[in-house]
Amino acid sequence: MKNAQSKNNPNAFWRFLSSVKLTIVLLILLAIVSIVGTVIPQEQGAVEFAKNLSPAMFRLLSTLQLFDMYNAPWFRLLIAFLALNLVVCSINRFPSTWKRFSVKPAPNRSKPFEKNTLEDCFEVTVNGDEASKRVEKILKSGYRNVRRKTSGADHFFYGDKGSLSYFGVYVVHLSVLLILVGGLVGSFFGFEAYVNILEGEKADQVIIRKTMRPLNLGFEVRCDKFSVDFYKTGAPKEFKSLLTFLVNGKAVQKNDLLVNHPVEFGGITFYQATYGSVAGKEAHLRIDRKSNKPVSSEKTVKGNISYPLPDSEGTFKVVDMRNDIMHLGPAVLISIKPKTGNPLEFWVFKDHDAVKKRLPPPMLASPKFNPEAFPPYRFSLTGLKTLYYTGLQANRDPGVPIVWVGCFLMVSGLFVTFFMSHKRVWVRILDQGARAKIEVAGTTNKNPVGLQKELRHLMINLQTEFHKKG
Amino acid sequence: MDNSLILSYTTFIYFLAFMVYLLGMVMNRAVLSRLGTYLSLLGFTAQTLAIILRWVESYEMGIGHAPFSNLYESLIFFAWTLMFLYLILEWRTKNRTIGAFVTPLAFLAMAYASFSPNISSHIQPLIPALKSNWLISHVITCFFGYAAFALSFGISIMYLLKRLDTAEKNSLFLRLIPSTAVLDDLNYQMVVIGFLMLTLGIITGSVWAHSAWGTYWSWDPKETWSLITWLVYASVIHTRLVKGWKGKKIAILSIVGFLCVLFTYFGVNYLAGLHSYAKK
Repeated sequence: MKNAQSKNNPNAFWRFLSSVKLTIVLLILLAIVSIVGTVIPQEQGAVEFAKNLSPAMFRLLSTLQLFDMYNAPWFRLLIAFLALNLVVCSINRFPSTWKRFSVKPAPNRSKPFEKNTLEDCFEVTVNGDEASKRVEKILKSGYRNVRRKTSGADHFFYGDKGSLSYFGVYVVHLSVLLILVGGLVGSFFGFEAYVNILEGEKADQVIIRKTMRPLNLGFEVRCDKFSVDFYKTGAPKEFKSLLTFLVNGKAVQKNDLLVNHPVEFGGITFYQATYGSVAGKEAHLRIDRKSNKPVSSEKTVKGNISYPLPDSEGTFKVVDMRNDIMHLGPAVLISIKPKTGNPLEFWVFKDHDAVKKRLPPPMLASPKFNPEAFPPYRFSLTGLKTLYYTGLQANRDPGVPIVWVGCFLMVSGLFVTFFMSHKRVWVRILDQGARAKIEVAGTTNKNPVGLQKELRHLMINLQTEFHKKG
Repeated sequence: MDNSLILSYTTFIYFLAFMVYLLGMVMNRAVLSRLGTYLSLLGFTAQTLAIILRWVESYEMGIGHAPFSNLYESLIFFAWTLMFLYLILEWRTKNRTIGAFVTPLAFLAMAYASFSPNISSHIQPLIPALKSNWLISHVITCFFGYAAFALSFGISIMYLLKRLDTAEKNSLFLRLIPSTAVLDDLNYQMVVIGFLMLTLGIITGSVWAHSAWGTYWSWDPKETWSLITWLVYASVIHTRLVKGWKGKKIAILSIVGFLCVLFTYFGVNYLAGLHSYAKK
């Protein structure tokens, strides 16, 4: 009793796992839950989306892990379940496939000939034995597993083609597993990181996206030059970084990095992802001193270096340079140390008119945004040198080759499964004294039209063989 | 001649072809149906010419690229692949009734491309991410997949209509539609071609994404919807090959599959549109 039960339970479970109904349910379920992830913004997008949700809704969605659904354990479990189902189904069905593949029907079966018409046979002017030699030669050149049987002066042949096509479906299933394994390998042993490098500078670390932690590369990558081209419409045409890879300070490799043309170094692949610009280290300023005798001077200044004010009333320095601040364009933060009185800091914008128009009055009134905050001086920003930085994606994914092999197998497996069939042919030679009658028939597991073509082709081959030799 | 102008004529020709195929069926006039074939061939030839012209024109503008780069061009190419597959199918099956169910789809795609105010017919330069040799293979495989699924959709509709045909009804229109067995078989063939092409399309897309962004799969809505479509057609194939489903069930599943194709193609843009609206 106990024995029967313990035997029965795994069987029931095995039956459940090997059912195609489960496959269909899982496929449809995966499709449906995948929809959810396209409707609810994921990861970065989720932050913006979550702001507009009620707290209860937010709690519900985040408990169900719907903001990072494709990485959620339950989603992965669903995929693992499908993989398990696929493995069990394949194991379960393999014996019967093997049987179909390896079974060798008798050469002298008569059933395949039952539906034959006059077009499926022809007569030759040689006897059965001679005819059988030539038939065998033709069959062996085009078919596998050719076997014959002789009864008296009559001869019977069997041959087949495409029996390996039964295994196409296993190749497809294996390919799905390989792609999943490749994905797993990538998520365990790979990483996705990024780094922004200023033109002329170098980096020896990248930031891992998932954890936001830095990762030491073990080498340095320098951006020698960054360039961006635009179309007349203003859309970017091409952006390109000239990279140099350095090991122990020595340049070992130089590459042009373009979008769609990644570069590999030290097992890490670099992709041209984005670019941007930041303020450089030099600003061009005009300083006006209002008085009876106005003085105006222009100066190119470097960051964080003190310069004397034109009338020696103190010193000033530029402590911050921004390419864009509050969407108001370039600005510098000027710090003044007067001879007497308290030091002060204020922003000077390049486009002061825009600032006047767009900054709310209370902010405008603040000395922080007043270029005349230190009277009688007035500072103007006339130019700011900008520097480009290149945004690189730096990835390692050892799973990729496995995924590509999986993709290749999937396409070949699908091709074999859909477009190839197992064709079995029989040829019988009925001896009629000095003459013989040759008849052709066949069966197939699918594609009956293809079989008819095959048989016509075989007939023509046989007929030309006999015509040639008379 | 301007390629957009030829394409406008093509739209009109496909509409005529649809009308003539339909009239041929309703009035049971083989002459009309044959005229439908001639019109389809004419439209297809004109469209092929226009696509080549557009390609050449882009090179003359100095921004040469295959004409597969925006919604306008993709809709035109979709109609082209659809008519290409349809004409082969008509030639193979020697049946012209399918035309009445497929040419309207080609016409709608062309009309949407030509007349929607949101779709620009200008030849636009390629942004850096699209500058890749994978563009051509990715677009061709995807759109042949979409076209095969569109044919499967048309055939499934025909199947469901044909089921209404009974001896006492004696409807001429329905009688001309091929038998349910033939339709079922054709439908399966289209699903198989579409599935193989979609698989190739997803794979070429992954290879391309891997060289452009560094990841072969990033679960963006378009990728995910192509996977959803793939899963739906995978279940069509499994139910048919393993469970032996036929006929009505497969026809309905194929229609659901094509709705997924439509969503992958258009709906995803709408999703993105929702987001950008919500951000404002």
